[in-house]
Amino acid sequence: MNTNSNTYTVIYSIVLVVIVAAVLAFAAMFLKPTQDANVKKDTISQILTAATVEGEDILATYQDAIEAAILVDIDGNKVDDLDIQDCEVYGTADLKRQIAAEQKALPVYIFKNGITVVPCYGAGLWGPIWGYVGFEGDLKTIKAVCFGHKGETPGLGAKIADEPSFAEAFVGKQVGTGDILFEIAKPANRQTENNGVDAISGATITSQALGKTLNQWFGFYQNYLAKNGAVCKQACEHCTECSEVEPANTVEE
Amino acid sequence: MGNIKETFLNPIFKGNPISVLVLGICSSLAVTVQLKGAFVMGLSVIIVTGVSSLICSLLRNTIPNRIRIIVQLVVVAMMVILVDQVLKAYAYSVSKTLSVYIGLIITNCIVMGRIEAFALGNKPFASLMDGLGNGLGYAMILVIVAFFRELLGSGTLFGFQIIPQAVYDFGYMNNGLMILPPMALIILGCVIWVQRSIQKDLQEK
Repeated sequence: MNTNSNTYTVIYSIVLVVIVAAVLAFAAMFLKPTQDANVKKDTISQILTAATVEGEDILATYQDAIEAAILVDIDGNKVDDLDIQDCEVYGTADLKRQIAAEQKALPVYIFKNGITVVPCYGAGLWGPIWGYVGFEGDLKTIKAVCFGHKGETPGLGAKIADEPSFAEAFVGKQVGTGDILFEIAKPANRQTENNGVDAISGATITSQALGKTLNQWFGFYQNYLAKNGAVCKQACEHCTECSEVEPANTVEE
Repeated sequence: MGNIKETFLNPIFKGNPISVLVLGICSSLAVTVQLKGAFVMGLSVIIVTGVSSLICSLLRNTIPNRIRIIVQLVVVAMMVILVDQVLKAYAYSVSKTLSVYIGLIITNCIVMGRIEAFALGNKPFASLMDGLGNGLGYAMILVIVAFFRELLGSGTLFGFQIIPQAVYDFGYMNNGLMILPPMALIILGCVIWVQRSIQKDLQEK
């Protein structure tokens, strides 16, 4: 047979591509459940990092440490529960949907150690970036953070996820009020004292994108954080502000 | 059979794809910070080179000459995606560290080079051995480089602490340069140097 004829070449390439596509489609379908389980575990481990909970078995640790996982709307009212037994969490795709959604359902993870974790999700330089922020009992002060990204530049933007000192800089910072909830910039360019951290040198766009993302999501959660922050939970014995908290509904004349 | 053995063993030392043919340098610089990553990357390349050489060799008499590079590319791409998917399912943390580099195996000159130079002109079994041998040669260099980089850069091997705390207390410090890609190039240079001083026929006059 003449393997150089046009007909042969065309038929050969069509058959080859169909076979390869079938093999890949089959493999993707077959491996999908395992991959999804891994992604979920990874998400939970990031949430646990933000809640400063450690453990070997991620799912069991999560079930042990979580007190409640709820969905709230933009006004801060609870709309639904997430199944704790099933370790139900909102993955990056779910978070992405909430940004444009009119009726938002924003996940809040409340842990037994008094830390409340909220997520964020936005566009970085090359792909999506996301993160989890753990708040102390006052729902203002950041206890720990954990950021992730799809494909930021290794050694520059990727530092948001793998540079420990960047995450450590968030500890003790507070979410601000008004227009600027959180800033990521160099100190000279920051307008607030305690509501921001330094940006990463050489990763300006990723830093700015993360700042924008945090602002957007802290905005989504603003009502929830304000409503629930003043109510002190028994678990936060380390928090010294309990006795000083004024009733939230003082009206200025 | 002696010939097949030679086909398998030659690329491991005498005709090593990295240190002699200087192919696949980019990925060997990128994934050798940790032994674990280098090990998995090496294993992935062994599988990709071996199986795609085998498939291309089986198809070699049917492939239309004008689109042979495209056919090779499709076969290699399929293998790379399969390996990537399997890693994502069964070795998620490693797959996260290696990120894009698994996908970039497709651009590794060793794979296409061996198919074009060997598999298209030889029997399937010999091609499989040639592919495995080249993958193994690549993996070996990766592991050697990663061994020095992880030991001197992080004081660990496969993530286990090797250099005892007492040494750090005396003022020893991990070499930060070892973590960065330039040091991989320098170690690779040393490997090539050692090999050329053993194997005199590689030295240029």
